[in-house]
Amino acid sequence: MGFIKRAGLYCFRQRLKTMILFLVLMLIAVCMLTAIAIRDAANETTADMRTAIGGKIILEIDTEGHMGSAQEYEWGTASVYNGDKNTQEIVDSIQKVDGVTGYNVEEAAGYYGAGVNFKYLPTPYGLSYTPYGESSSYTVTLSSEKCKAFLSGKYNLVDGRHITPDDEYACLISKELADYNQLAVGDKAQMYSLDSDSVAEFTIVGIFDGTKGASKEAYTASDIPGNLGYIDYASLRDIFKDMFDEDFYQYLTIFVEDPAGVKNVYDKISALPELQGKTLKLTIDTDEYDDVSSPLESLRQLVRTAIVIVSVVSALILTLLLTIWIRGRKKEIGILLSIGTGKANVLLQMFTETFAVAMLSFAAAIPFGNLTAKKAGAYLASQAAEGAASLHVQMDAVYLVHFYLIGILLITVSVVASAWTVLCLKPKDILTKMS
Amino acid sequence: MSIMKICQVTCFYDKSRMVLDHISAEFEAGKIYAILGPSGCGKTTLLSLLGGLDSPMGGQVLFQEEDIEKKGLAWHRKYNAAFIFQNYNLIDYMTPAENVALTSKLPPLPILERLGITKEEARRNILKLSGGQQQRVAIARALASDAGVILADEPTGNLDEDTALEIADILKECAHQMNKCVIVATHANELAAQADVVLKLRKGKLIRVP
Repeated sequence: MGFIKRAGLYCFRQRLKTMILFLVLMLIAVCMLTAIAIRDAANETTADMRTAIGGKIILEIDTEGHMGSAQEYEWGTASVYNGDKNTQEIVDSIQKVDGVTGYNVEEAAGYYGAGVNFKYLPTPYGLSYTPYGESSSYTVTLSSEKCKAFLSGKYNLVDGRHITPDDEYACLISKELADYNQLAVGDKAQMYSLDSDSVAEFTIVGIFDGTKGASKEAYTASDIPGNLGYIDYASLRDIFKDMFDEDFYQYLTIFVEDPAGVKNVYDKISALPELQGKTLKLTIDTDEYDDVSSPLESLRQLVRTAIVIVSVVSALILTLLLTIWIRGRKKEIGILLSIGTGKANVLLQMFTETFAVAMLSFAAAIPFGNLTAKKAGAYLASQAAEGAASLHVQMDAVYLVHFYLIGILLITVSVVASAWTVLCLKPKDILTKMS
Repeated sequence: MSIMKICQVTCFYDKSRMVLDHISAEFEAGKIYAILGPSGCGKTTLLSLLGGLDSPMGGQVLFQEEDIEKKGLAWHRKYNAAFIFQNYNLIDYMTPAENVALTSKLPPLPILERLGITKEEARRNILKLSGGQQQRVAIARALASDAGVILADEPTGNLDEDTALEIADILKECAHQMNKCVIVATHANELAAQADVVLKLRKGKLIRVP
């Protein structure tokens, strides 16, 4: 009689043990499935994020040692940058570099405006420095779509469109602010700037959400996320045209197609003749990716550790269970060895028994694992990666192959470890002890 | 011509007490051998060495003039020697038919029926049979293996007198009609009386009883 038939007979005749083994293996499988599913989801989300955020290189004016002597003005002392400027000509040549996908200006709090025909979400203190009430800050940008908050998914455009480089006097406001003032896309938002002492009229081109949950410790209008907004770069240049003698970018973000190749592109840009000897600073920016991916990286590490712990604990539990059962099967092993059955054949029988039950329990565990993985994934993502990204837990073929491979390895280790001490004995010793 | 031989076989208990002291013997097919001796004299050890369950500390065990270690002890146990134990040693989650099928690819029912196990009994769980029936199944398993040598260690030790006689008859039949070499280690003089050759193991020496 071959080992497969013996294994089949054992599983069928020893139903209680088979059922216990089935349940234990199913429990192990559910834990393992959950952990692997979350790990794969975290890996996939990180990869997606890398693609979505992309690599970034920052080109800015180098103010260190290039500021002119201090001059007295009516409102105080200031010095003016006298180094090289990042002109459109330089930006155009950078755009031609292989691997560069575009560029953007994103100056946070580049413009402060008080609402002339609308009101900001109120603060507890109601501080007011302008004739039109409090000012709130706006991010000045060429393309709002490429701004950090939109790339990371923190903000989402819910109505209208993004600000583009061709826009003039366009703005994006939050849904909270729009609802508060009953403003819609296409409406005009008039703002007073204390810095330029002028009123500018912006067209609301888009409305975004993601600002809910305003800070409870808001002292100024800008402390409330719902009051923050975006305006186009051209209007800023126009509002402050008296203060800019030349058109240049102080701080430019250059986008790279492949984040992994950002260093290569950086080297190419550094070597551009237009940049040689210029007082401009070029740096690789990974802050945003790091910000978004670090909670996920923590989650990945947590899950990796969980997989190791689940594997080790499962192997121990399985080994312990099989060891107890194999001790009870010493006589059977002795009999098989006494009739000339090889040790490898006996081991194969035990492996087949466990493997057959495991295949069934693993298959049965898939729907349960799927369910627990989704719930655990959602919970862990909310704990570890709050605001960073959502985790899409799903089971595909590759994932199941991983799971089955780990399971088979675990079973092999457990069966060999549990049967080893018995199989090392001579058949005579086993049978003598049995007698 | 002998089917099995032991040449100058030595064995110790606890590395100091010699139980088999340079013993030699030959065993022929078609004969039943009885090995007698007091408890602890080394009868089971001698059978274990003949059956390849253990290796001697000195000397050789030959099957058809070839050292049994040459092809491996597992090979010897599978093809050359079959055991019958006092406590039957049957696998308890199998039926008699399945226990017999462990050693042979041939259908197990004819041999079981020949040894007095009915078809219905052959399909029951082994633990639902009497001691005598279980020993018949153990003998059937040994015979089904096609091994030339059958080694029986106290085969009637757990059986009543009538059943013991029946088993003795079966073993005799195995030797005389099936041309097997049957070697029986026993305390029972009734069983020894059925043997063609009686050997006595005493103080490590094997003596042929005339």
